[in-house]
Amino acid sequence: MTKYILKRVLRSLVTMFIIITILFSLLRLMPIEGYFESFDKMNEVQIQVKLNSLGLTDPLPKQLVRFYKQILSGDLGVSNVYRRDVSINTIIAEKIPISLELGLTALAIALALGLPLGILMARSTRTRFRIGDKLGTVFIVIIQAVPAAVYHILIQFAGSQTFLKLPMLFDPGDPKSYILPIFSLSIGNIAYYAMWLRRYMVDEANKDYIRLARAKGVPEGRISRSHVFRNAMVPLIQYIPNSILFTLMGSLYVESLYSVPGMGGLLVTAIKRQDNTLVQALVLIYAVVSILGLLFGDILMGLVDPRISFAKKEGGR
Amino acid sequence: MIVISGTENAVILSVQDLNIKFTLRGQVLHAIRGVSLDVYQGESLAIVGESGSGKSVFVKSFMGLLDGNGFIDGGHILYNNMDLTQNRSNKDWLKIRGKEIAMVLQDPMTSLNPLKNIGSQILEAVELHRGLRGPAAYQAVLEVLRDVGIDEPERRYKQYPHEFSGGMRQRVVIAIAVACRPKILICDEPTTALDVTIQAQILELIKAMQKKYALTTIYITHDLGVVANVADRIAVMYAGDIIEVGSCDEVFYDPRHPYTWALLSSLPQLGVKGKALYAIQGTPPNLFHEVRGDAFAPRNPQALRIDFLERPPFFQVSPTHKARTWLLDPRAPKVEPPEHIRILREEGVNRFGN
Amino acid sequence: MKRYRDQKTDTLGDHLNEQLEQTVNGAALSDEELFSFAAFDAGAAERGGYSNYSYWGATVRAFLRNKTAVFFLCLMLLVLVFTYIQPHLPNQRDPLLIHNNEWGLPLNNIPPGDEFWFGTNAIGQDLWARIWAGTRTSLFIGFSVAMVEAVVGILVGMLWGYVRRLDFFFTELYNVLDNIPQTLLLILISYVLKPGVSTIIFALSLTGWLGMARFIRNQIIIIRDRDYNLVSRCLGVSTGRIIVKNLLPYLVSVITMRMALAIPSAIGNEVFVTYIGIGLPVDTPSLGNLIQTGRALMTVSSLRYQLYFPVIVLAVITISFYIIGNSFADAADPKNHV
Repeated sequence: MTKYILKRVLRSLVTMFIIITILFSLLRLMPIEGYFESFDKMNEVQIQVKLNSLGLTDPLPKQLVRFYKQILSGDLGVSNVYRRDVSINTIIAEKIPISLELGLTALAIALALGLPLGILMARSTRTRFRIGDKLGTVFIVIIQAVPAAVYHILIQFAGSQTFLKLPMLFDPGDPKSYILPIFSLSIGNIAYYAMWLRRYMVDEANKDYIRLARAKGVPEGRISRSHVFRNAMVPLIQYIPNSILFTLMGSLYVESLYSVPGMGGLLVTAIKRQDNTLVQALVLIYAVVSILGLLFGDILMGLVDPRISFAKKEGGR
Repeated sequence: MIVISGTENAVILSVQDLNIKFTLRGQVLHAIRGVSLDVYQGESLAIVGESGSGKSVFVKSFMGLLDGNGFIDGGHILYNNMDLTQNRSNKDWLKIRGKEIAMVLQDPMTSLNPLKNIGSQILEAVELHRGLRGPAAYQAVLEVLRDVGIDEPERRYKQYPHEFSGGMRQRVVIAIAVACRPKILICDEPTTALDVTIQAQILELIKAMQKKYALTTIYITHDLGVVANVADRIAVMYAGDIIEVGSCDEVFYDPRHPYTWALLSSLPQLGVKGKALYAIQGTPPNLFHEVRGDAFAPRNPQALRIDFLERPPFFQVSPTHKARTWLLDPRAPKVEPPEHIRILREEGVNRFGN
Repeated sequence: MKRYRDQKTDTLGDHLNEQLEQTVNGAALSDEELFSFAAFDAGAAERGGYSNYSYWGATVRAFLRNKTAVFFLCLMLLVLVFTYIQPHLPNQRDPLLIHNNEWGLPLNNIPPGDEFWFGTNAIGQDLWARIWAGTRTSLFIGFSVAMVEAVVGILVGMLWGYVRRLDFFFTELYNVLDNIPQTLLLILISYVLKPGVSTIIFALSLTGWLGMARFIRNQIIIIRDRDYNLVSRCLGVSTGRIIVKNLLPYLVSVITMRMALAIPSAIGNEVFVTYIGIGLPVDTPSLGNLIQTGRALMTVSSLRYQLYFPVIVLAVITISFYIIGNSFADAADPKNHV
């Protein structure tokens, strides 16, 4: 087990190194306007001086080494445009709690609704008309097929403009304004968890060991709980660390739609305002979070599934 | 005189004119077509047939384990003064499953829950059917593990299925079955998925369990080698019908139905060196269509006209041996069984007299 | 179910039927006739089986049985055909033309009516024309991305699978690239490059082929290792025939499904990047910027039609592709064939 975890961690570190290097190099292509607060008012000489002072005229390897030194000391640099000369660490520290608060609430709701929905659907596949399964499938198909960008707009629209009259934009002081963003954040995950849990449960329910459990006289309810559900949750558990970690980053779309002052909204703002260092920092955090998410997912999976430490399982979704 | 065992005993399970159908995308498949069969206390019965003959479906119906689209369409399964065909809910079946009838499935690699240690899977059976809890239940599990020949049961208890070999897993599956303390043990192709070297061990184990716990065993198999090894009686199944029943020796050495002839003739062991091995022509009938007469008739080169028209009744060959073929009708022309069968018959005569 | 019968079988069948008729009619055969041998016919013996199976026939039948899928297929074909013939129909307007009244003032925010079927937008452009032009743009993006995904995915996948020495390299590359969130890459590329249709196609294609390549690679490995293919090879079947008979049916269905699903996701991504301001410029009508414009106006109830219409068209297209893609994959799975 320890060996499996060590190997997995090592691999993540290598991946992280490669990705950061690629992204950093790619980001050198960013339009240079993004390093200045008032690019238009500056002359050629001033621009060169500034670029020199930022080290952007150095050869790429040199910049890379410097960059690694910087991030290893925990420094992400300073913002150029968004909040001039303010440390990015400070900015992020303000944003993360908001994203985390909304995201974790939404995730809790998604699990609390999505898992029962998946169980209901899986049970319904064994009934005559499969009504529950069909209704659930319609919901899942709509959420999966209609682009998130569109159904979020519709949720915002329906929640704020129709009889519900909920606040259209987020306001930290108004609890009612939390409802729509949280709902928007959770709905995709509700469909996601319900869909996969249903699929895994139906798969498990057709396996031989369930047949044997039935043949040895285990009551249906207990089969469902202690064999089918338990085993179907194992592959899902892999994605939960990822879901939790990603709440850190907020949702790019939902946050900017409802003007939530969180991490997701920050990235969109940084892009719109062309703040290169901020974009770079956020992109790197984003990449690191996604690698860590997969890493923790695999480790957790190894802890719950006794087979993992023996046979290597192929990664990837 | 051919030795017949089991018949002195009482009937433990009696199937009468059982019909099972499946609905599949609007079509109806008639999987079991009016089958009757008595199972005697303490015997070991083998149901033999090629894949798709319905042997597995037949025994699954004793435990209410038909797939969702399958249903019983007439007939009775009498057990312990109950008609099991009247069972509707899963709750009714819980009185039978495990407690009265237990099952060993074909593939030990898939029939254990991969995420639970094997101890807890046996424990489940012990708790459900013997009402034991705590240390008593634990001891019972260890005992049954020892019974099925697993060493160091305390250590093995905590291990997961993937830490066992195929043969060992099948031992665990058997342990689960006998831990329920059933009256009848159904073994559905218990050795098919195992290495040849392990097969005999597993059969020996089942026999030992049968003896120790006074079980009645029903084997489902297409492997006549297994049958010869373990069975007191044989029922031959073809296209959802039992076409010949008799003691092991009767069916092997004096078969009467042309399908049984064909089946035995295609045994590789009976092949003559240098000659092509016998193979049955054609394919089994499509059970989506109503079968008329003797289902084997289209594949039987010596079929009678009546075989295509009317289903043969059972003709009694001896008190314990009967076959569904018009050849046994007094009006039928005399048909000589194929060469292999004649050889077998002679061998039988030499061995048992008669 | 239609069954294969050769002529000889038919004759025998007729013969039997005749006999049956007689039995049923009470004009039973004599015992002597009943207990005489019937002619053996090898064809009849084989007839019992299920040998008339055709993979594509069964796939099409399974698909057509799914009424929802057929409905969406018709709907999608209708929308597709209309989208492309719309500009050639009479009385269609230019999606970019700003309509003015006789005093030279723009006819802006005209509600849907006889003159402008879907009304006009804030600067007086015809929404009907813009929606179909936008649909063309979005579908073009979707189809292009799906094509690139298929071509690059299949090529890389074959290389990955066939050349054993490259397996390690490609597997590691896959693990690295697969860790990059697609949204992130999309944002980055759109940010770095000039916004436009080709940028979006490029950004979406950059990682889109990964899943396809991996799938093809696994299939290639299966050709090498799966038992039934090994058997085919032992029987002297040529590699070409193995690919055509054993592999292609499965491949084609999964490739089609992946392409069908790539289209709605590409369209959705276009809406997304347009929303965060790095998508298509306004003078290129697309479903993304139409929805974006509509969204800004949703607080005014009289202007909501500018949100409704593009959303409906988009939902119809994405849901159709999604359902058709999945239903086709189900239909192509032999487990669902009877």
